[in-house]
Amino acid sequence: VSVAPAEVERPQVREVTEPERPWVTIVWNDPVNLMSYVTYVFQKVFAYPKPKARKLMLDVHHKGRAVVSAGSREAMEHDAEVLHGYGLWATVSHDR
Amino acid sequence: VSGPGDPAGLADEELEEIMSGFRRIPGGVSARFTPDQASVLRGLVSQVAELIGGPGSADPAADGSPGAGSPGLGGDVPGGDVPGFRESPPGGAGLILGDAPPDAGPVAGGGRAADPLAPAFPAGDPPVPGFPAAGEIDLAGFEADFGAGGPSAPPDDPVLARLFPDAYAGDEASSGEFRRFTEAGLRSGKVAGAQTVLATLPGTGGRVRLPAGDAEAWVRVLNDVRLALGVRLGITEDYEHELPGAGRGELHSAYLQVYDWLTFLQETLVRALW
Repeated sequence: VSVAPAEVERPQVREVTEPERPWVTIVWNDPVNLMSYVTYVFQKVFAYPKPKARKLMLDVHHKGRAVVSAGSREAMEHDAEVLHGYGLWATVSHDR
Repeated sequence: VSGPGDPAGLADEELEEIMSGFRRIPGGVSARFTPDQASVLRGLVSQVAELIGGPGSADPAADGSPGAGSPGLGGDVPGGDVPGFRESPPGGAGLILGDAPPDAGPVAGGGRAADPLAPAFPAGDPPVPGFPAAGEIDLAGFEADFGAGGPSAPPDDPVLARLFPDAYAGDEASSGEFRRFTEAGLRSGKVAGAQTVLATLPGTGGRVRLPAGDAEAWVRVLNDVRLALGVRLGITEDYEHELPGAGRGELHSAYLQVYDWLTFLQETLVRALW
């Protein structure tokens, strides 16, 4: 995630625990996507409130990846497809 | 940073508007572009569209572009159509498509708007100095191989591979299956977005007013263009800290300025949409 101006923050919240499900969508860090844009996309695609969207974005930025949604394999493929439409680098994986 | 010049005969307020990017207006967003900024952006968007969708994809008349028919919010520039623009497609040569021979001049068809790599700002005190000049960059060898591979294999071109990544890390079969069902639709969506931008950004520049739907297309397209440039330029997390021109040459840093300008535009657009 690209460092956008005036976006200096520390992640303060621990992992948001999702119910245990077999499949997840993961978004990976990349050097181009803006922090603001990634947050915007998480809000737009998942209807997450801004704080959660921002926390996930910061996880991507600092940890290199974040689980952004969990559910059925079909639903995760749909999420990945939508995220690819926004230019985010998303993959589907078994939750573990 | 330039002083308060008057590079294109612009009023102070217009220059201010150009330098502040997108802003929110009732019902949407607006931004002002110089003719050369509009030309550069149109050129890059066209190149990305053609890389993704094939030749002719940048032409909004080719099919029903979502943006072409939208009423928009109007603007203070005459229409969205520049006479003759479609006859001189801007994507014939350049950084994204990379199909230009090393010493390629302006593409056939001529016309100022036809050159996507023309300086984005007039000479002398430009808001963003250092834009590359036409035909100065040699990035030949990048293949525009849209549709060349099977629909289940990842694209060879690194830009396309980034825009349409594997959905399963280390699982070729599942990635191929996902790709088989999604890539064509994703490609058409991105081409449609590019056509919306081309339909709403007059080649003459001026103020662009976008309703929310078109602005959403714009923010995605700006991201796609930045991703494409990022791959071609080898953008890394800390590229801003590299020494200017370190082993890369002046043109590389000139294109970085284009990239930085697009970053600024996208950032202001996201904030205007929030």
